[in-house]
Amino acid sequence: MRRLARLVLAILREIGDENAYSRHLAAHGREHSREEWRRFSEERLAAKYARAKCC
Amino acid sequence: MKFLGYVFWAAVAAGAAVCLGAIAILRGEHINSMWLVLAAACTYAIGYRFYAKFISARVMALNDKRATPAERLRNGHDFEPTNKWIVFGHHFAAIAGPGPLVGPVLAAQFGYLPGTLWIIIGAVLGGAVQDFVILFASMRRDGKSLGQMAREEIGKVGGFIALVTVLIIMVILLAVVALVVVNALRGSPWGTFTIAATMPIALFMGLYLRYLRPGKVLECSVIGCVLLIASIFGGQWVAESASWAPVFTLGAMALAIAVIVYGYLASVLPVWLFLAPRDYLSTFVKLGVVFMLAIGILFARPELQLPAFTRFTDGTGPIFAGKVFPFCFITIACGAISGFHSLISSGTTPKMIAKEWHAWPVGYGSMLLESFVAIMAMIAACVLQPGVYFAVNSPAGVVGATPAAATATISSWGFPVSPAEMSELARNVGEQTLFYRTGGAPSLALGMAHIFAKSGGGPAILGFWYHFAIMFEALFILTIIAAGTRVGRFMIEDLLGSATGVSRRGGWTGILITSAAIVAGWGYFLVQGVRDPLGGINSLWPLFGIANQLLAAIALCVATTIILKMHGARYMWITCVPLVWLVTVTFSAAWQKIFSPVPAIGFLAQAGKLSAGPQTAATATLIFNAHLDAVVCGILLLLVAVVLADSVRVWSGILRGTVEAEIHEAPFVPSQLRPEEL
Repeated sequence: MRRLARLVLAILREIGDENAYSRHLAAHGREHSREEWRRFSEERLAAKYARAKCC
Repeated sequence: MKFLGYVFWAAVAAGAAVCLGAIAILRGEHINSMWLVLAAACTYAIGYRFYAKFISARVMALNDKRATPAERLRNGHDFEPTNKWIVFGHHFAAIAGPGPLVGPVLAAQFGYLPGTLWIIIGAVLGGAVQDFVILFASMRRDGKSLGQMAREEIGKVGGFIALVTVLIIMVILLAVVALVVVNALRGSPWGTFTIAATMPIALFMGLYLRYLRPGKVLECSVIGCVLLIASIFGGQWVAESASWAPVFTLGAMALAIAVIVYGYLASVLPVWLFLAPRDYLSTFVKLGVVFMLAIGILFARPELQLPAFTRFTDGTGPIFAGKVFPFCFITIACGAISGFHSLISSGTTPKMIAKEWHAWPVGYGSMLLESFVAIMAMIAACVLQPGVYFAVNSPAGVVGATPAAATATISSWGFPVSPAEMSELARNVGEQTLFYRTGGAPSLALGMAHIFAKSGGGPAILGFWYHFAIMFEALFILTIIAAGTRVGRFMIEDLLGSATGVSRRGGWTGILITSAAIVAGWGYFLVQGVRDPLGGINSLWPLFGIANQLLAAIALCVATTIILKMHGARYMWITCVPLVWLVTVTFSAAWQKIFSPVPAIGFLAQAGKLSAGPQTAATATLIFNAHLDAVVCGILLLLVAVVLADSVRVWSGILRGTVEAEIHEAPFVPSQLRPEEL
């Protein structure tokens, strides 16, 4: 049950881009900050909303 | 152990056969919705375990020793090896839109059987195969898009046509889903207030994520969900307020203009401020509601009130005109097979697959789950009394402009319903009227409210559940409108850029002009739908279904070409069979939509009938619109015919040996990914 809850949380974090942000911080060796989130989310969202959303 | 496995799968196969047989054979009595659930679940299990595994092993030769693009091109952003169930959830959230919910509700006018069989069989043999093969092809080609693969495998023409087709689909899709929202909110202060409240909630979330708690998307979404629930209660208060109710009671045209303005603003506002937080919220709400609906159906196990077949299989349906073949198969696109999925399968997902065999659950499995959502929507529509279902979904132009006339017409079809019954139902859900609410969303909301109320709370909270369902549908439809308008804007910029050679995605002037162009495109069709005496859905939904299925035909052409290059003609049937079916269905539907002599079906006949009557400015517009719809339909047919002819040319060249069967896969690199990295 706990594993299932962890998995569901991981899926929600992936959909909410929180996992991608953690990966971004790890990949660039940076600390979380308002500016870092802003930089990440602008790049991420620009790519995300250039693609069609499904019907 | 192996023997037990055989026994288990034999039992599942027998379960599928018995349940499918039961829903197909039982007549003249109400059947329980669990027959549909079990028929679908058992058939999906067989399709997943045997057919999809056969495709994985024999056709694709999936190999976990081969590094995927997620591993080879890992960059911490797009390319990242990810746990397969996380990719599954992510992919499912991306492919699940309003299509699998609305399409089955509309197709229920034929009865529950044709739509249900198409959803189950279409998904197992067509939709899931398309998604899976395109995901596989993109994964083997460094995550290339459908357009890029079409260019490489078929030719430049295919790639260009795929882009143009997507743009046309986008315009029609946005218009038709906007019309669904307009018809759901028309004359409903409760619904309109709730949806209006989602705008400041999204803005608050955008500011919260930017300035207050950067990066805390889940936390912010929980706050957003609480505010959404509060807005439903607020809507009830507004609807009961003598001074506020008139402010939020809007007609169809006023709502259409509001949606058009919303689409434009959402396209030009910074994405972090409005679109992104709204998208997070609507995705979470969507997943939550789908889960709740599944639990509700399992708990309530409602009986289906609609018959297996209705008299409208003959093409005289009030919701949309046309016979069960081909119109059932274009009305339900997402849920059975959807061309749009091929864009997602060749988008983010292939860049996250860690091991090749993960494409099996992600590509094939996600589509089966989407198909199950469509089954749930079908159940939600069919639990309504048939008279109520048709009273809600039929336009005034077909059943009569007064409640008495409408109920008399519907009762004469053999589906008894009375004005008093409809008034009481409207009162129970907090609406002034439920007549003429075409588009599927209100009847789906009624069905969902019925199931939720039966699962807990009873009729006393029917109004809350109805408006909860309306909020859920409108929330993510409006998010699709916002995102789609933005994407359409980029597509126009790309097309203009490639035509003029001038760099795309320019400054503010370019953004404002291209946003206006795309909004004008779908806004025109939306207004056309609002003015249509037959309710708009009759014209627009088939047009959207045809466009979406034609995109699926392009995707299947690409998939067939790739399979042909890999194995010769041996396994071509896997994608060719659904392709032949889709081409037959869409071409015959498109042909009928243009040339049928029945005015309710054929655009040209409709224009001819209008031309023969008294001429006013409004009639002239309706005639122009009918001609425009015919032209759009014709263009789509022509575009796909070109791709099909181009593909057949390539296939015949490969089979005769005159065209080189060059496979454009990335070279084999051994995987070094360790399990702990996932």
